Amino acid sequence: MSTATVTDQLPPPDAAPAATRRFDQTWLINFLIRNSMVIVLLLVMAYFSYRSVRFATPENALTILVAAAPFALVALGQTFVILTGGIDLSVGSVIAVSAMTAASIVVRYPNLIWLGLLAGIAVGLLIGLINGLVVSRLGVAPFVATLGTLTAGSGIAYVIGAGAPINGLPEEWGKIANTALFGVQVPVLIMIAGFIISYLVLRKTSFGLRVYAVGGNRTAADVAGVKSGQILTSVYVLSGALAGLSGVILSSRVISGPPNLGSGYELAAIAAVVIGGASLLGGRGSVWGTLLGLLLIQTLNNGLDLLIVPAYWQKVISGMLIVAAVAVDVWATRRRRS
Amino acid sequence: MHAIHTARPLRRMVVALCALVTVLVTACGAGDQDAKSGRIRIGVTVYDMSSFIAQGKEGMQSYANANNIRLLWNSAGNDVSTQASQVDQLINQRVNAIVIVPVQADSLGPQLRAAKKAGIPIIVVNTSLANSDAVTSSVLPDDVAAGAQEMEMMAKHLGGQGNIVILQGPLGSSPELDRTKGIESVLAKYPGIKVLAKDTANWKRDEAVNKTKNWLSGFGDRIDGIVAENDDMALGALQALSEAKKSTPVVGIDGIQDGLAAVKDGRLIGTSLQHGRVEMAEGLAVAHKVANGEQVNKTYTYTMPPITPQNVDEFYKNVVSEKDAFLQRLPQLVAQNLASGHLSNEQLNQS
Repeated sequence: MSTATVTDQLPPPDAAPAATRRFDQTWLINFLIRNSMVIVLLLVMAYFSYRSVRFATPENALTILVAAAPFALVALGQTFVILTGGIDLSVGSVIAVSAMTAASIVVRYPNLIWLGLLAGIAVGLLIGLINGLVVSRLGVAPFVATLGTLTAGSGIAYVIGAGAPINGLPEEWGKIANTALFGVQVPVLIMIAGFIISYLVLRKTSFGLRVYAVGGNRTAADVAGVKSGQILTSVYVLSGALAGLSGVILSSRVISGPPNLGSGYELAAIAAVVIGGASLLGGRGSVWGTLLGLLLIQTLNNGLDLLIVPAYWQKVISGMLIVAAVAVDVWATRRRRS
Repeated sequence: MHAIHTARPLRRMVVALCALVTVLVTACGAGDQDAKSGRIRIGVTVYDMSSFIAQGKEGMQSYANANNIRLLWNSAGNDVSTQASQVDQLINQRVNAIVIVPVQADSLGPQLRAAKKAGIPIIVVNTSLANSDAVTSSVLPDDVAAGAQEMEMMAKHLGGQGNIVILQGPLGSSPELDRTKGIESVLAKYPGIKVLAKDTANWKRDEAVNKTKNWLSGFGDRIDGIVAENDDMALGALQALSEAKKSTPVVGIDGIQDGLAAVKDGRLIGTSLQHGRVEMAEGLAVAHKVANGEQVNKTYTYTMPPITPQNVDEFYKNVVSEKDAFLQRLPQLVAQNLASGHLSNEQLNQS
């Protein structure tokens, strides 16, 4: 079973012969089904472009990407975790703890911006390590283990700020997220790098293959000599560290440390991964899918604001779209198999 | 085999957890000796620990220390039922009065009745409770006036002409409803001002940045002013404007540290100060009066003073740079303000 799910992720075997039977009808249908999420995204973009002349502009594209970046890092970490059949609910709190840790350092030592940055990431990494060890060594279900750190973390964020947001951060702290290179803000560049690296790790390294194997069938992976405990621990560490980085970026962008920062991000990240075609049972999913899911959610947020759709309707539309997108994907997968 | 591996760390963890719980419980259980000593005990339950509440706690503590009051402090984590059980507990502890900063307006009905039956006065601060006949007294900010005040600042700044967008609080919450009402009452007087869009950013800076950026994308240069119902969202809007390299005027409410600093350096055209130290200490002072059997008003209104570049320095000292000195004179100020009825005053009469 595990080998079947792994090959599912490799490039489609019919990619080369496709060129010869270009006008074959079944090939076309299969092509459309395989790329159903791209088509949904393009349709959504086409609709917004039609309704608002302001949508399809470079400035607006950048606006979407800057808003997407903190979610993207969390969603990438979540992709690795979900591929192993786990889930990381703690990331929302990790963002808050990381932002508050970083903020509490730079508000006291305005010259040590880099220390705030490192501490924020390190705290995320540490919470991820706790998640990973509790899941892999103690055998606690990921949902429960990370629910625990989600709850404890949201409390810790308030403890750090003595119950209040941290105000009065130095202007330099804003430079991390607000510096632009080649006209593009740093968080967007980090996001792009994150996607490329994650893609390469999952597709081109033995670690990536093992992540899929553990998620496909842990027992089979163990028998095949994969140290599944280490793989599990490392995906939670990765998810925690990325959430920590996300917290630093969010805090730097608004130059403050709010203890409720990032609340609800875990669900947005899980939604992006699931819309991207990942299975919550593990073994199936991809970085490309997560990218599509993320872009779909962020494009909706942006486009609906442009059309001045009230926030409560935005939630209704997003919720329905999540289910619809996954339903289409399930239908398409079943059709491909048969 | 799996079970053998996990058994030992698990047992160690259980032992560690037990130790931790024991330490926490011993540290928190500070005894009940005041009940016998006759020292006034006042229970407090707040909706959550926001920066407003954190300031308020400082103010209340300062007043309590000066008047030999013991505070029994509880935070409800934004949960109505947690707050209900906290009020129940305070009633059981037979405190002299309870100060409630409610999670939600239409809640705590049974608890208020129980308190009344037990003869424990209830003082409500910051958000009114629907069940008001069981409430002894309330200290409430005038959020309608604050909304009107910020809209008036913006309208004057724009000379009564222009397009604005409005960042609202969580839709349906009472401060959002009241501040929006105030904003709309002023807009009715200025037909030249058009609202291009209004939506919630849930009081949050990070949500306000993205919402404002989307609006800047959608409306381009047509936005002449941004009215935010709190300072955090106003600061988020400022960040979005700086990313878009625009300098549209922005106004906020609350007077948090970063908000006052932004008024100081001219980035915000103004804000309105809701000073938690003053407002919540006044709530405690009213509870203190009631516990001493003195007469109090049914309601006290805290009208937020407008903060502009002209007067910001004085308030910045009280809220941020010289807050310890301010806390020193706060008990005296609170007594003076309750007598005069001007609750948001921050200057001691020299007499």
